[in-house]
Amino acid sequence: MNIFRDLNWPAIMLWVGLFIVGLIALFSATQGPVSEFLPDHIKGNFMRQLIWTGISIIVLVSLQFTPPRTFLTGSYILYAICLLLMIVTLFFGREVNGAKSWLSIGPANIQISELMKITTILAAANYLTSRRNISAENLKNALVAVLLIGIPTVLTILQNDTGTAIIFLTLIPVMLFWSGLPYGISLFIISPAIIGYLSIIGWYWGMAAALIITFLIFLLQRRTWLTLASLAFGALLIIGVQIALYQVLQPHQLDRIEAFTNPSFDPQGAGWNVLQAKTAIGSGGIYGKGFMEGTQTQLRFLPEQWTDFIFCVIGEEFGFIGAGLVTLLFMALILRILNMAGKNKHPFAQLVMVGVATIFFMHFFINVGSAVGILPVIGLPLPFISYGGSAFLTNTLMLAICLNLDFYKRELSIYR
Amino acid sequence: MLSQQNQRVKTSVRILQFSIGLLFLIILGRLVQLQIVEYDTYSPLSRENSLRQEIVNPARGLMYDRNGRLVVDNEPIYTITVTPATYDSKNTPLLAKLMDRPVEEVEERIQEATAYSWYRASRLFTEVDFSVFSTIQENIWELPGIGHQIESKRRYPVEDMQASHIFGYLREVSEEEYLQSDQYNLGDKVGKSGLEMVYEDQLRGEQGIEYSRINALGQSLGSYDNGSIDESPVKGNDLYLTIDSELQTLAEDLMEDKSGAVVALDPENGAILSLVSSPQYDIRRLSGRIDSDYWEEINTRTKNPLYNRAISTRQPPGSTFKPLMALMGMEMGLISPQTEVNNPGYFYRGRRYHDLAPKGDYDLGKALESSSNTYFFWLMNEIAEEKDINQWYAMASEFGLGQLNNIDLPYETEGILPDSSYFSKIFGEGVWGVGDLISLGVGQGVIGVSPLQMAIVAATIGNEGYRVQPHLVSAIRRSDGKVTMTNPEKQKVSWIKKSQVEPVKEGMRRVVTDGGGQWYANLDSIEVAGKTGTAQNPHGTDHGWFISFAPMDDPEIAIAVLVENSGYGSISAAPIASLLTEQYLTGEINRPYIYDYVKDFEPKEDEDDDENTIMNLGIE
Repeated sequence: MNIFRDLNWPAIMLWVGLFIVGLIALFSATQGPVSEFLPDHIKGNFMRQLIWTGISIIVLVSLQFTPPRTFLTGSYILYAICLLLMIVTLFFGREVNGAKSWLSIGPANIQISELMKITTILAAANYLTSRRNISAENLKNALVAVLLIGIPTVLTILQNDTGTAIIFLTLIPVMLFWSGLPYGISLFIISPAIIGYLSIIGWYWGMAAALIITFLIFLLQRRTWLTLASLAFGALLIIGVQIALYQVLQPHQLDRIEAFTNPSFDPQGAGWNVLQAKTAIGSGGIYGKGFMEGTQTQLRFLPEQWTDFIFCVIGEEFGFIGAGLVTLLFMALILRILNMAGKNKHPFAQLVMVGVATIFFMHFFINVGSAVGILPVIGLPLPFISYGGSAFLTNTLMLAICLNLDFYKRELSIYR
Repeated sequence: MLSQQNQRVKTSVRILQFSIGLLFLIILGRLVQLQIVEYDTYSPLSRENSLRQEIVNPARGLMYDRNGRLVVDNEPIYTITVTPATYDSKNTPLLAKLMDRPVEEVEERIQEATAYSWYRASRLFTEVDFSVFSTIQENIWELPGIGHQIESKRRYPVEDMQASHIFGYLREVSEEEYLQSDQYNLGDKVGKSGLEMVYEDQLRGEQGIEYSRINALGQSLGSYDNGSIDESPVKGNDLYLTIDSELQTLAEDLMEDKSGAVVALDPENGAILSLVSSPQYDIRRLSGRIDSDYWEEINTRTKNPLYNRAISTRQPPGSTFKPLMALMGMEMGLISPQTEVNNPGYFYRGRRYHDLAPKGDYDLGKALESSSNTYFFWLMNEIAEEKDINQWYAMASEFGLGQLNNIDLPYETEGILPDSSYFSKIFGEGVWGVGDLISLGVGQGVIGVSPLQMAIVAATIGNEGYRVQPHLVSAIRRSDGKVTMTNPEKQKVSWIKKSQVEPVKEGMRRVVTDGGGQWYANLDSIEVAGKTGTAQNPHGTDHGWFISFAPMDDPEIAIAVLVENSGYGSISAAPIASLLTEQYLTGEINRPYIYDYVKDFEPKEDEDDDENTIMNLGIE
């Protein structure tokens, strides 16, 4: 094998490009004029991120020398270890920003749920590819896979880390879909997300989506029971959302929803972050205000500007050119990984790559969607860009595994 | 089977890539919308976010007296403001602790400010101690939305002088005024009475705006763009007043604990030398933070201290009207200085009109000196029968009676000077007759004048026929140094002749030397001419009047004094006018016993018909 020919250099370059942009943004967000108003431990974030970047590079490189089958054979045991650590975290974990998801191991604080993402993908991929294809009639295997992903989901919810739980949840439809779940049923599984989202904006949008999805399901599957179930479920969901909005939700929960649909409604309360984030991005214009020149960033109008709102720093200081570039880099990387999956002959490798691409995409979409105000603020870091050592390392690990499986794709397929 | 599976993989890749690509396009579209389409919305938002506009209040114009002495000044007061939009109510306990106030009070005030404006800064506490102000300033970073301001309040450097009814007081602008005019901000002070009100536009100046950069915590990071877009405030214009601080202080001292008014003016041009209305309010207690207890008190006190008796009250002039009657009688050709009228102790026309002067024959000089009622009842009867009440009205109104004299103070009264239509209006057409007019001859009945009007009458007689325009401001100095003189008019009373004024002045001189003024109003050093008067008061003891001018030949000061419920003017009002004349013309008071007499004077509640008896008692 030729390291120049077979290693996926474009993916690596995209990864380098993203973390360089990340370091620039992080520098501005913590070392710029704003540092005057920041506590010392946050000012240290940039140096720590540099160290983590160094470690991650080493990990990425060294992982290319690992035999690819290791990930397949070790998947269950790694999954079990991580699950155990997750439970330990639940009892002995450290709470940061309300989420009890950190575990102190020696000098390092590690977010086990990050590692859990990798092992969950590996275990679920292993399980799903070791069975026959899932069909509409035989959903038993699918249910086991759902359980494999569902357990860490519940544990992250118990750790009060809703954002990560959402990431786990999205793995279910995508991985099942890839494993042969009929298209119609896959659509049925993701339909609640689409219909629910649109119902918050307006019940009529939800209704339109429900009707279109039902029609598509009918076209794809031609099953009366599934079509009717989809229609009934969609209608129930719309009614449920309306009841939740106007009857069940507490005022402060409603505020968050209201803040998302109409941030100027309460510019001081829940809508403040959203408005400041949108103002930062919008005021960046096409070319941006310049490196370390963003007033929203440097005058501390952005909350958590080194993690959840780092995209605003880029949008404000580098404008549409910067924000668009980051979006395109992500798009290129994710589509690239999906391409790798399509070219790989080994189903396990395919499924791992699809899972990784899904996780990267969901992180990007939720993070940027929150910042530009099309999603409620959920609080997830932007991969390779936001500050956060374990997240950076985990994301690199995921990419590295994909690169490894891609690099050894011929060798891997021999064993099949 | 395998190819079918490969087909499935290919399709799945395409579906995933298509879905993800679509969502990426949504994000890119949103970026185009925010950064390109809506750039013009968000760019100013971010600029305003980090820009703080601070209003710089201009220094209000100062006031100087006629001798250039500073009489109205400014001094700093410290104010804490709140901008409800950026204020976090979680900080209220901390704020209350720093302010050393109960939490409930702070909450209440913040609610009030919120009700006025969500985005604009409103005053939360004014006139806080400098130490509290500094504490807030040091902790301001913990209190987003809280600001501080240094404002000013009025200071009155002449210690014993109040001049409340001249200067007037300032109040915070009412919600109504705030909404009507864009010149005011909430909490701005605006003149509500006196010169502060009349000259509000001159005194106010123009507010400035300072821009500073702030961060999200509200900390100021210095001026924006080196202050290049700041607007500096323009100081208000200064007023040069006609009042004499020393005379004013003495007049206030003499009127203390009495009810009434003093107006002293320069007969040459109408410049007000002193204007006192008693009781008056403590101007210093109304200069700063609203002292609601005191405000309540002065508004409910029976002798309303906010009421400016010097220009707003309407009282019958009593015998002080007689010199004017004499002038009109001569002009109408009904009397000459030599005309004699017999006084049998009363004047009879349908009924007896009482006269306190000794029985005998009276010519003009003697009638003024002894204040014979019979002479003037008879004269008024002649006017009513031979002439016309409307002619009498026209002649008297040229002296400023029944008219506004346009002094630069608010709430001036026209008084009451009746003509035939006025009588018809109040009594009914054809129902009234000569009997209703006769008492006008001695300044009683349907006639009402203010002390200001009587001072003008005195001045007009003193300067031999020129009605002056009363005024308090002689010049206005703009902040750039340019001085504008006010231009008060002086108008010749059309019908008056020197030959008529001289015997009247002579008679008024005799009042002071030999008549009712001889005990308290006569001065060795200065020739004073005057006239006493007593206004009948149906509600209680009569009011005492005295008008005078001095020196007689070329008067420099004309005075009208009204002391309510004091009985005869000769014992109550005359000594006050006399002391003021002495002080103004000689610079000192050489008759301490008169001063003591005035200070100890207590208005008599019982009525005694014999004026001479009381005067004789008074001299002992």
